[in-house]
Amino acid sequence: MGEKITFAVAAIGALGFGAGVVFFRDAFRAAVSLIGALLAVALLFVALLAPFVAVVQVIVYAGAIVVMFLFVIAYLGERGEITSVDRLDRWQVVGWLGLIGLGGLGAIAVLSSAFGPSTPAPEATDVGSAQSIGVAILDSHIIALQGIAVIMLIATVGAVILAKSAVQGEGGR
Amino acid sequence: MNVPIEAYLLLSLGLLVLGLIGVMRRRNPLMLLLSVELMLNAGNVALIGFSRMWDDPSGQVFALVVMVVAAAEVVIGLGLVVAIYRTRSNLDVDELSSMRG
Repeated sequence: MGEKITFAVAAIGALGFGAGVVFFRDAFRAAVSLIGALLAVALLFVALLAPFVAVVQVIVYAGAIVVMFLFVIAYLGERGEITSVDRLDRWQVVGWLGLIGLGGLGAIAVLSSAFGPSTPAPEATDVGSAQSIGVAILDSHIIALQGIAVIMLIATVGAVILAKSAVQGEGGR
Repeated sequence: MNVPIEAYLLLSLGLLVLGLIGVMRRRNPLMLLLSVELMLNAGNVALIGFSRMWDDPSGQVFALVVMVVAAAEVVIGLGLVVAIYRTRSNLDVDELSSMRG
């Protein structure tokens, strides 16, 4: 019963705030709406017995990524309304048909497939604890850990190079 | 699991389609990145749902990897947005054709 209530609240929150991200015209409101959607998804993770991932979601997403978005939105300030014509206008119908087709296909695939093991998972497990995730990372996903390290290094170097060329473009060193 | 896995997967599908609508409708690259974050979260919901269903922490490890990739993507994306804004007055992905061959 508790999981059903949590799921209903989190699902409504995620879809509502997600619609806010997509449909708010103001960039600042859309970014704040994204915080709400991310918190709702974190609540879903708690309902799925993954408290560690939920905490990381709040810290990394709501704490770091959205703050970076808000900083850039505040830094760039208000942009004028875009007035140029849409050069892909004649493809719009195709795009929407593809979107509807993708959504319908996904719904049909989910509803017509049989998921899950023959014996359902027990109610309370230890699978979401930091300990079991750490063991899983170091035991069977060590390559993924190394890959993450390489990706973060590449992103850091790329960000520094982008910032450096921008500073040089303004006459700095 | 009191809530069937199908419910989580349908919610994940809904979030993914919402993010896709955002990517299609928005013309500001900042908004595009926000919508992509929404789509990545939809994937995470499905991964954690399967992790719970199979009682296996691998799905949670995948979700953490997705989060790191999202963070790296946002760093580079926002850096590009700021760098492009320095040479242009408005932000519109339709106007960014300077790399056309």
